[in-house]
Amino acid sequence: MNAPTASATMTAPTSAKRPAGTLLRACLACARMEFRAALTYRTAYLSSFAMMLLQIWLLTVVWKALYDGRAEVDGLSLTTMTAYATLTTLQYQLVSPWRSSPIDQRVREGKVAVDLLRPVGFPAQMLSGQLGWASAAVPVLLVALPFALLIGAGRAPASAAAGFAYPVALIGALLVNQLLGLLLGMVSFWTLEVSGALMAYRFVAQFFSGALVPLWFMPGPVRAAAEWLPFQATAYTPAAVYLGRVEGLGIIAALGVQLAWICALGALAAFVWSRARRRVMSQGG
Amino acid sequence: MPVIEVADLVKEFSRPTRQEGRFAGLRTLLTREQTVKRAVDGVNFTVRQGEMVGYLGPNGAGKSTTIKMLTGILVPTSGTVTVAGATPWRDRSRNARRIGVVFGQRSQLWWDLPLRDSLWLISRLYDVPEARFRERQRQFSEVLDLGPFLDTPVRQLSLGQRMRGDLAAAMLYDPDILYLDEPTVGLDVIAKERIRTFVGELNRASGTTVVLTTHDLDDVEELCDRIILIDHGRVAYDGAVDELKTRYAPHRELVVQTDRLESVEGAEVVRREDGKVWLRFDPVRTPPAELVAAVLARHRVTDLSIVEPELESVIHRIYADRG
Repeated sequence: MNAPTASATMTAPTSAKRPAGTLLRACLACARMEFRAALTYRTAYLSSFAMMLLQIWLLTVVWKALYDGRAEVDGLSLTTMTAYATLTTLQYQLVSPWRSSPIDQRVREGKVAVDLLRPVGFPAQMLSGQLGWASAAVPVLLVALPFALLIGAGRAPASAAAGFAYPVALIGALLVNQLLGLLLGMVSFWTLEVSGALMAYRFVAQFFSGALVPLWFMPGPVRAAAEWLPFQATAYTPAAVYLGRVEGLGIIAALGVQLAWICALGALAAFVWSRARRRVMSQGG
Repeated sequence: MPVIEVADLVKEFSRPTRQEGRFAGLRTLLTREQTVKRAVDGVNFTVRQGEMVGYLGPNGAGKSTTIKMLTGILVPTSGTVTVAGATPWRDRSRNARRIGVVFGQRSQLWWDLPLRDSLWLISRLYDVPEARFRERQRQFSEVLDLGPFLDTPVRQLSLGQRMRGDLAAAMLYDPDILYLDEPTVGLDVIAKERIRTFVGELNRASGTTVVLTTHDLDDVEELCDRIILIDHGRVAYDGAVDELKTRYAPHRELVVQTDRLESVEGAEVVRREDGKVWLRFDPVRTPPAELVAAVLARHRVTDLSIVEPELESVIHRIYADRG
């Protein structure tokens, strides 16, 4: 097969860098695999779908009760509020701190050993796999959206600009969430066990993302904290853009903040990885 | 030309020292004291291209740790490793394309997906051209008989099937070097034989260099000409399998089925059972032909055979001696 050429290929000073095209192809392949893996657990997949519809319906009922017949609270209409709740619930299928990183599990089970053998960098493999896994939620969202509109829990985007900016903000949210997950996952190279910390992180992240309570209902200091943390970029930002809570230049600013977080977290992740790779301890045998 | 060069390789692991007494668990958590364990303690060897080397040692001797440094998974504490001109842990991506790795204890396949999908993804990760991928997949389906389970999710495969899938995955992109870390662990005789045949054939046909760690010494006897024995993180023996036997187990045994045999000159009776007598002798001092002649001259013998020492017992003796 390759015996005569083997020594020639081995001594040739080939470059370590691969063309960007093949790297992209490799990452897309990772994403596609995780997408398919997510769909193999059909029961879990379908039940998450059912749970989501139930949650959307419950939230509309609760907010209706809270508004208690009033059309507006703090200048905010009931329809905007229920639309916000629906939107963040839907987004949550795609962007959630609960599906932020497989790294800690792979470290614990020693599967990183295999990941590190690949010619594609570990963070690139993890990120593209995660994006593929998250995108398995897209078919669910496409079905849930009409349902939400049907029960009056949804609303069209506030403006054409909001309609166009929303998908961009959603992708930004996805990236911020995944980078946070990557960073936290890499901590397990030092501690091995992060499930406790991860649990705490997820509750904090969920709260400050605005997925439970919108930022505009948070009291002053809490809201200030939320605005300075990266989590609001994962849920509040796209929902606020969609509903027209930020408009015009405000949209640009919100997307700019997301971009800034992506750059900052990306740089931090690269730095942490450069340290983590020297600390690899592979579990077992 | 050596394709793998290992010089003064050391790997230390440190972990917090286990505290004893009251609140031991909590104090272990808070202590700054570190216990350092040297898993690999100054290992040197080289492997030529096309060689098949058995890398052996008892559990915890540092075998897997060495393999993990050779493959670039672990970064050593000190020392150097050069694999095909590159340092594995510094040049991971370049190294990755030249090596295939099979861990018997850990699959590189995607658990939830059919074997076919795993192979496809690996072809993308290593950018194997589409035509080459199809050709390789066809070859492996034939040689490793993957056909019947290509579309079965990996988690439903038997261990033997999974290992064959893992071998195909490791060789899909034509690497020059194949590391096998306990590839036959837990397999039945037929499955073991199949894996050995495949690896042997691969080495003959493509000149693939093979580094094998195993506890099944039949793997080694069948595949390797050379073994490197490590113990307590150091190389205890490096050389040919036959030489190891002569050095550590110089004796042969002559088994004679006979009526009555008290003693023979030049040999020692080590066992008697069911009318058989085991005579141990040193073939250098007592040539086997002479011993057989001497026995036949004086006794009525219905059957006789000479037993070569097995690698297993040789290695067992070495470990026992080193304690």
